[in-house]
Amino acid sequence: MISVQNLNKTFTLTKQQRKELNTEQKTATAVHDLSFSCQPGRVFSLLGPNGAGKTTTLRMIATLLAPSSGQIQINGLDALINPQEARKQIGFLTGSTGLYARLTPLEIIDYFADLYGVEKSVREQRKEELFSLLHMNDFLHKRIGKLSTGMKQKVSICRTMIHDPSVVIFDEPTSGLDVITAENIIKLIRSCKDQGKTVIFSSHIMSEVDLLCDDLAIIHQGALKYNGTMADFRANMQTTNLTEEFIRIVQTPNAQL
Amino acid sequence: MIFRIFRKELLDTLRDRRTLMTMLVIPILVFPITLNVFLAVSESFEESANSKTMKIGIVGDHNKNYTRQLEQIPAAVGPKIIIVFKDSLTLRKAIEADRIQLGLIIPTNESTLRAKQQTIALNWLLDASEVGRSERANLYGSSLQANAEKERLRKLGLRAEQIKPLSIQTINCASDKKMVGQLAGGILPYIFIAFGFIGCMYPAIDLFTGEKERGTLETLLTVPIGRWKILIGKMLVVVSSGMLAASCSLLGLFISIEFLDLAQNKELLEVIHGILTPYFIGSMLALLLPLVIFFAGVMIPIAIYAKSFKEAQSIITPLNIVMVLPAMVGFFPGIELNLNTTLIPVVNVVLATKELIAGTLSLSYFFSVFGIMCLLALLSVLISYKQFGKESNILS
Repeated sequence: MISVQNLNKTFTLTKQQRKELNTEQKTATAVHDLSFSCQPGRVFSLLGPNGAGKTTTLRMIATLLAPSSGQIQINGLDALINPQEARKQIGFLTGSTGLYARLTPLEIIDYFADLYGVEKSVREQRKEELFSLLHMNDFLHKRIGKLSTGMKQKVSICRTMIHDPSVVIFDEPTSGLDVITAENIIKLIRSCKDQGKTVIFSSHIMSEVDLLCDDLAIIHQGALKYNGTMADFRANMQTTNLTEEFIRIVQTPNAQL
Repeated sequence: MIFRIFRKELLDTLRDRRTLMTMLVIPILVFPITLNVFLAVSESFEESANSKTMKIGIVGDHNKNYTRQLEQIPAAVGPKIIIVFKDSLTLRKAIEADRIQLGLIIPTNESTLRAKQQTIALNWLLDASEVGRSERANLYGSSLQANAEKERLRKLGLRAEQIKPLSIQTINCASDKKMVGQLAGGILPYIFIAFGFIGCMYPAIDLFTGEKERGTLETLLTVPIGRWKILIGKMLVVVSSGMLAASCSLLGLFISIEFLDLAQNKELLEVIHGILTPYFIGSMLALLLPLVIFFAGVMIPIAIYAKSFKEAQSIITPLNIVMVLPAMVGFFPGIELNLNTTLIPVVNVVLATKELIAGTLSLSYFFSVFGIMCLLALLSVLISYKQFGKESNILS
């Protein structure tokens, strides 16, 4: 379970950034007073246009960034007080995730299994399951640099799941992928849900959200615009389709469903 | 866990051809290649200068006295053709046009001066910018001088010792090792330091800026390991790479001397053998280690800060000059290790190494340099840690 309470994140702007953004302000608020929770066995979608604060929020949940204020709990554990313990329970995958081009998939998986402290006996079993599930056995010993995008994505998935996390965070996981490769991610998210894991993913693609999510939050300019179940969202729509409704909520100040 | 990170980063680094080149191949080859080229070039110059036929123009030798003497000088010194010129102006023009290589001008009153037993001033004309000309002129000149002295002593009825009351010689009390240390001692630390720096450079950029650029750093930071452990694991690879590059250059020197026989001077060879002892190598590496950590600690904050590989390279490459230039201090005579120079990083290691080669490094200075470099290394590691902890630096 993920619980986010009154989350804020403010960045100090450098002179260069102030010039680029054409502003005199010394700070920029990326996330403002965000609160929501994600339940186990359900898929939570964080929706918002580019620059809405989705990645910053997910990075704070993954303990990569420290919030300016607010609280984050991962399965009841305070992620700010004990980030390393929280990380043990998190799997984090982004669309821009890179892999070590000079290593083989097997070397990468073993490396991350070691870093997550996965015991040898558990690891071998887990590797076997994931390799066969993702059809990775044919390219386990090839260097990453020589693999196709689809193969790399499978390695990334395997790397994310090797320690069997109970909370999985996906930051625009299908960004830049073709439909066949993106299908691996869709399957993974569904599988995580079936296994009772807590899943949160960010996206700006409504079709993906429609396909997968049980609960959603829409954020714009760092602030929460909507938080509820997907069923409620559909039931109270004021436009004819999901994309139009998303645009309406984002573009209308104080929009209500 | 630090060792696990180190192991993975080392494997990754060793599979990078660019790093392998700067870490292993170039340092090993630099000594054999440069020594080989240097010897081949100097031998070829010497050979060509000796075998070249010199045309000697002579003016004022009316009774052919000097022409005969020059002709009697053995051909082994170098082949020559003697051509008589009527005046010095034509001879000078011929030398300027390189039709004649050496010109000898004999004064018009040569017979009178000889008869009166006065000094006869002979003038050599030559183009000193050409290799071997001055040497050949000195050689011929010495022969003419010896003949003239002999003739004058005979006329005076004297023996050579009678007009040479003193024979002054300089006896060098310094050991050969010390001489090599002072004369050539600057080049060794310079090369070790330069390779120590270059060896650190690519891994530092690759393991920090490269990871950030490739999107692997973000993933690595989500693992339940303290950031300082990740930093130290990576830093160890950067330091190992620098140490390996410096050690490989030492290995290259050893190969040049032992297997390629490139140090042909027997005395020099003995001195070098005396230097390449486990004590020297151990002390040298002990001085180099904190320096390489210091280099890594200076490069890593830059590599963490830089947004791209290019940006990191464009900052660190000029830094190479700032860091390695002080190592040239070893080439200058007279600059010694003292309380002031001990405090200057790089310079202190160079001077200490120079004294180590010469066998004059005292333990107190050794530990002073080592201690100061350790302190600076620690400081640079702390700066790296601070930079690695900054959110704005580690996430793009």
